[in-house]
This record gives sequence, structure tokens and C-alpha cells, in this order.
Amino acid sequence: MCLVSDFNFHIIEDYFSLFMEGTILTIELSIAGIILGSLLGLAIAFGNMSRRWYLHLPTQGYIHLFRGTPLLLQILIVHFGLVAQVLGRTDAIVAAIVALALNSAAYTAEIFRAGIQSIDKGQTEAALSLGMTRGQAMRHIVLPQAIKRMIPAFGNEFIVLIKDSSLVAIITAPELMYWTRSAAAQYSKVWEPYLFAALVYLVLTYSMSKLLKFVERKM
Amino acid sequence: MAMIVSACGKKEDNNASNASGGEDKVYRFATDAQYPPMESMDKDKIVGFDVDFLDAVMQEAGLKYELKNVAWEALLTSVQQGTEFDGGISAMSITDERKETYDFSPAYFESTNMILIKEGSTIANALDLKDKKVAVQIGTTADTLMSDIMGKGSKDLKRFESNTLAIMELDNNGVDAVVADIAVVQEYLRNNPNAKVKGILDRDNFESEYYGIAFPKGSELRAKLEPAVKKVLESDKYKEIYAKWIGGEPDLTGVLNQK
Repeated sequence: MCLVSDFNFHIIEDYFSLFMEGTILTIELSIAGIILGSLLGLAIAFGNMSRRWYLHLPTQGYIHLFRGTPLLLQILIVHFGLVAQVLGRTDAIVAAIVALALNSAAYTAEIFRAGIQSIDKGQTEAALSLGMTRGQAMRHIVLPQAIKRMIPAFGNEFIVLIKDSSLVAIITAPELMYWTRSAAAQYSKVWEPYLFAALVYLVLTYSMSKLLKFVERKM
Repeated sequence: MAMIVSACGKKEDNNASNASGGEDKVYRFATDAQYPPMESMDKDKIVGFDVDFLDAVMQEAGLKYELKNVAWEALLTSVQQGTEFDGGISAMSITDERKETYDFSPAYFESTNMILIKEGSTIANALDLKDKKVAVQIGTTADTLMSDIMGKGSKDLKRFESNTLAIMELDNNGVDAVVADIAVVQEYLRNNPNAKVKGILDRDNFESEYYGIAFPKGSELRAKLEPAVKKVLESDKYKEIYAKWIGGEPDLTGVLNQK
């Protein structure tokens, strides 16, 4: 199959508006997953770092569970087993966001923990000696310093999440990968839609890494 | 797209190296074994109508072969390329569109698409589905038919990787109907008598379809197997296989009338 001469741009033309709609949904799902995942991850990180067993054990368990099972399975279970049972019907977009956020939270929890624990204890001790509470010390002294260190790790996680969002095609959330597969199926041609999709994902992840570099410099 | 470097034009030429030792060549077939009763996994063995039929055909032709379980979309691509597999047998309907991409054996099975709906549903035919939510398996004739009826960009037409997931979606009220091969639907109804679903036919909108074994374009194997397929169709073995997997007597008038 001679690729270069046979490249059928017509397929991309035909599906272009659907690919763009799909890309927009990919971006939306990724942003939602990143934001919700990070917020949840922060909470889980604190629970994990706590010495109280009823906070520490469940959060540890959460991290093991969501890092230790394939995201593909998590998506299917959330879609059919969780969202469908709660809502009484399926909702692919809700399931996609929930699955991506739950999964991401497990990873971001560990990123937060690593960043926070890398800040010298002296910082917290100094803050306490100035009369701050533990909470204030965390919010005003430790976290701001920690976040700058966490940015490369977050960059990894966010980029992975953008790519992982392609898995929700399996529950027919109409994001980019879903339309890519539909185009491939309709035309019985894989190279054209798949390579185009790869290009779009590359643009998205490259933009994300550029954005994070900018944020890192500004901190 | 200058960065694309790919296998331009070179297809593995198995036939030249086997000019003298043809009998020893093991032909490789692919099937997507998620499609009972045509093909499915029974622990680690592939079983089904297609499995037994292929066996009968290859025995008749006196050729060795092996059959691998390959995911549907990957099967469509790899059989087309012809490097990894010499043919695909997977309840594939012969369509004009597909004939542009594959060479097919003579038709060996008559099928049609069926609508699977929940028991209380008011859906009576395919056109009723126009403003409903429908699930299909991606890349099947059901997909093509429903894409025509509902529009290929319709958000209400959900293309799943397998019929299993499509039916789960129906179960969970994500869609109003599933459209799939009659054999698949009937198998599901047989295995799930308590499921509160029913299957309806729509002969007006869903024409008869005929399965064929798919080969890459220009395949020499196709010509080799053509007489074998015809022989098996007329034999008692076919009736045996049909009775075992589908039940009852096959009506081959449609099949034998296909060119």
C-alpha cells in the first residue's frame, strides 16, 4: 500500500467538521478532567499524608486502585456500572469526565505529596513560630513553593490525560478518536484519519507543554 | 505529510516461495471472535459457524491453515493489507463498498439485520429509528445502514467496538435500539430469556445480506478456495454445521443465486 501517493485527503475533508467538533470535546473533557482531577487529587494527597488512619488508609487505597487498574476498564465500569446506575441511563460525557478525573486524581495526589514533602520542614517550623496555624502555613508558605516544583510532573500528567481522553471513544463519547474510528470504518482506510488525529493530538499536547513552561517561568 | 514512510507497494510474496511446496503452506485467517454463534471464544478456543465452515472448506481444498482471533477494526485493516493474514472469515457481508477493498469468496450464508428493542417499545421498523438513539457495532452493515438513515454525524447513532457493548448500552437505557446481524440478535435472545427485549425484522429497509470470506485484493487463495466453498455449500456438512450453530434447515436459494 503506497502511502504517499495514495493519501486520500478527501476523507479528511469529508469528516473535517466532525473532527473539529471532536477536538473541541477532547479539549473540554481534558480540561474538566485536569481541573476536577487536580482538586480531588489535592484532597486525597492531604488525606494520604495525614496520620489519622481513617484518612490515610482509604486515600492510600484509592491511589492504589486508580493507578493500579487500566483506565480503559475504569471508563467502562464508570460508564455502565456507576453513571448508568445513578442516572438510570448512560451518559458518555459525564462518564468520561468522571473516569478521567478519578484516574487523574490518583496521580496528581502523588504529585502533590512529592512536591509538598520536598519543601524543607524548616519552612513550616518557621511559619508556626511566627504564629501561623498549620493550615495557614500550608496555604501561604508551603504550597506556593511546592507548586513550582510540581509543574514538570503536572505537565506529564496533563499531557497523558489529553491522550488518555481518546479512550472514551469506547463508550462512544463523540470526541476526536471516536470520529477518527468512524471515518476509518466508513472508508475502510486507516492511515488518513489516524495520522490526521495524531497530528491534532500532537498540536494539543505541544500547546499544553508550552503553556506549562510559560507558567513555570512566571512562578 | 512528507514525513510518512511506509511499506510502499511491497506485499509479502508467499506464492513464489511455495511454487513447489504448496501443500506445506499454512494459510492464516483472522476472525473477530466476539460474534456468537458465528464466532466466539470458548475459553481459549475459537468456536462457531464460521470456524466449522472454514474447516470444512480448507479440508475440501486440502490446505493447512490457522485461525486467529483479531479485533474487528484491526481485522478489516490487516486482511486488506494481506501481509499478516491471507483471509478473514468473520460474518462479513459482501457489499459493493467492501468489494472495492477486498476480494470475496462465493456467498456462504444469508443474513439480514435485525432491530433489538426493549419489550415495551413502540418501534416497528427501521424508519421509526430516525429520531431515536441507536447503537451498532462500528464498521458493520448495520453501521452503514443506520448511518444512511440517521446521518453519519448523528450523535444519536452510537458506534461501539462490539455488539456486546452496544447491547449493554441498550440494557442501561443509553439507546432505544440496537441494530445487528440476525444471528447475533437471536443468539442473544436465546441466551437471555429473561432480558425483556425483543427482536424485529424489517425486510423493507434491511435487505438480505450474504456473508463471504474476505481476501486481500488480487488474492490467489480466493481462486483456490472457490470450488471448495461451492462443494461444501452443497454438502451435508453444511447442513450439519448450520443445524449445530443456527438450528433448523438452511435455505440456500438466496446464497446459491449470488454471483
